[in-house]
Amino acid sequence: MQMSLVRSWPITVKVPLAVASLMLLVGLVLSERVLSRLTDTQQRHLIELSQSYLDGLSSAIAPSILREDNWEIFDAIARAQAVNKSLHPVETIVTNADGIVIAASDPKRHPVGSIIEPTHKAPSASFSFDAGADSANAVRVLSYPGRVAGIIYATFDTRHLAAERRDVVIALALTNGALTFLLAAAGWFLVARMMQPVRILSDHLGVARETLAVRIPEEIVSKTKGEFGRLFRGYNALVRSMKEREDLGKRLAEEKRLGSLGRLASTVAHEINNPLGGLFNALATLRSHGHINSVRDVSLGLLERGLIGIRDVVRTTLTIYRTDRVARNLAPTDIDDLGLLIAPEARRRGIQIETENALRDSVSLSSTPIRQAVLNLLLNAVAAAPDGSQVRMSAQADSDSLEITVADRGPGLPRAGAEILMSPNVAPPPLDGGGLGLWTTSRLIAGIGGQIDVEYPVYGGTAVTLRIPIARVELSNVA
Amino acid sequence: MGSGLNHQVDRRALLSAATSLLIASTGRAAAQNTSGTIRFGLTPVFLTNDLELLGRLQSYLQRTTGHPVSLITRRTYQEITALLTSGQLDAAWICGFPFVARRSELQLVAVPLWHQRPLYQSYLIVDRDRRADGLLDLRGDIHAFSDPDSNSGFLVTRAALAERSLKPEGFFRKTFFTYGHRDVIRAVGSGLAGSGSVDGYVYDVVSELEPSLTARTRILEASEWLGFPPIAAPKAPIDETRLNTLTNALLKMNEDEEGRAVLQMLRLDGFAVEDPKLFDTISTKAALVAAAG
Repeated sequence: MQMSLVRSWPITVKVPLAVASLMLLVGLVLSERVLSRLTDTQQRHLIELSQSYLDGLSSAIAPSILREDNWEIFDAIARAQAVNKSLHPVETIVTNADGIVIAASDPKRHPVGSIIEPTHKAPSASFSFDAGADSANAVRVLSYPGRVAGIIYATFDTRHLAAERRDVVIALALTNGALTFLLAAAGWFLVARMMQPVRILSDHLGVARETLAVRIPEEIVSKTKGEFGRLFRGYNALVRSMKEREDLGKRLAEEKRLGSLGRLASTVAHEINNPLGGLFNALATLRSHGHINSVRDVSLGLLERGLIGIRDVVRTTLTIYRTDRVARNLAPTDIDDLGLLIAPEARRRGIQIETENALRDSVSLSSTPIRQAVLNLLLNAVAAAPDGSQVRMSAQADSDSLEITVADRGPGLPRAGAEILMSPNVAPPPLDGGGLGLWTTSRLIAGIGGQIDVEYPVYGGTAVTLRIPIARVELSNVA
Repeated sequence: MGSGLNHQVDRRALLSAATSLLIASTGRAAAQNTSGTIRFGLTPVFLTNDLELLGRLQSYLQRTTGHPVSLITRRTYQEITALLTSGQLDAAWICGFPFVARRSELQLVAVPLWHQRPLYQSYLIVDRDRRADGLLDLRGDIHAFSDPDSNSGFLVTRAALAERSLKPEGFFRKTFFTYGHRDVIRAVGSGLAGSGSVDGYVYDVVSELEPSLTARTRILEASEWLGFPPIAAPKAPIDETRLNTLTNALLKMNEDEEGRAVLQMLRLDGFAVEDPKLFDTISTKAALVAAAG
């Protein structure tokens, strides 16, 4: 958690922090060295001074100490303390070998005859000084061959040394603090400067995440030298190539759109052309047998429905993607019409169209897309069926759904075609123009909520079944 | 009166002075004496700048006597007394106690006048804050004397104890000599000694000149008025004429500007000729002490 927080800090914070930490470390190490040297120097100095003080005092009191001449020793201490002012002696005590005070610089604290406990100032330790302490202690044992004559205990005021040490500590702390701050600031400044190109780049990349990648302006690139200059130029080249690719993609899509329009146009032409043979047939029938009432009525009906079909194709084409089609319901005659519409093409190929129309009433489904879809299927079936074979179309409906099957005895619909038929929403329009009829059929049936199944019967060929649910609500609305 | 000088005089100077004196006392003394140099011994009570005082005193004496003057100082009274009685000094400023002790060998030359009287007292001093009413409260003390040959700094206290059949060594826990009255004040003031015997004249002048030194002490007891430390000469003078001119110079010191300056430094009014009976009270004390053993 903590670590991840630290990792998430910007580099402009991390580097100065690292610099500051390193400087603190260096400062601490240096300070430690300086202070230790200072302590050594102070201690050495103090030892030298105190030894010279003790030497002088020893020689001054040596004759008096055996006599235990209180006054002479006191006077010698007073003189020694006055002479060695630089050493700041605060207290000097002279005892005899038994620890009994002969004289002290402050006789009121250590009266003549009182005993100095050897424990609190061990005679063995000739000098003791703690760095930063307010006082230092020195002990000198005056001995003549064979016996101890007396002991000098001296205490020196080292507050000036402690103060000096304190001053040094403060100076070190201030210097290190200032240096650390300056270096951290310099680190921040340098990193901020060094990171400037990275920021520019990341800003541009950030923009690219939302919209299109933007080129870094040329004046910034020209000002940036070195690696970052190369990086910027590389980035700009990348942006340029991305843009080119995008333009290319757009052009391709446009071309595709135009291509599919062309194919659509050919389909429309196809749709219109197909029933035309039947219509001409009806015209020919009218011309020769128009005087017969029943024939005339059938032919006129055929003509009318054919023309309506053509109109519907044109309309359907115009509104191929529209879902709100207001059209008439599918009538049983629509299925028969399809048979008639395909008949000319079938005849040309010597193929027999067999229609099983089980519809008795009109079904509340829009006739146009169904007609178009079934016509497409029939055209495909006729195209696939071998000469002289049979194409069967059957239509039946119950209260829930309409089912129309077109079966041929051809070599079988290729997998890709079946895929296009069965998955209308996934498949894009075929690029190569092939299977456009299948694609259109698929879209049309999907548009009215229907489903397409492709089967390959054991006796060969292909059976395509459309199942279109009949919407009751729609029916009631209509009613 | 002694090491009051020592503590201000450079040790090396004293050493060379002592060496030259040693030479003088062995062989060349006689030659110098006959050449007319006045040798004047001092057990000084001097309090201000000793060297300046010595210089001015020497200058005054040389000018008024017309003789070269050599001022001789020693650490102890005893040494000066010994030089005087052995005829190596024309005269010396000594204490009343050695004067009465060597009465037969010495003659009185002059006595200083302090507050117009040839008298002074001995003080028994203690720490300022000490609760004590008299000498007997000081039993078991560490006591500072100034000099075993000093009247005020030793004899008076010893005699006071002898009157009560006491001796310093039994009465006090410990005693020591500082060989200077000023140092007795220092010893008591610092607490090194619990009490001290000191020259009242020195004490009063010190309290005027160095009040901080005496401020830490107080006078527990003052003795009766006693003869001021006198100028004495060997009973048989080395040179009668020289002694007379020296005596005159001393007696007329307050009539001379330089002499008055010297007296001012000593806080004295002059010198007078006095009856040696002035020192009878001191000889009584000496006798008492001698009787007590």
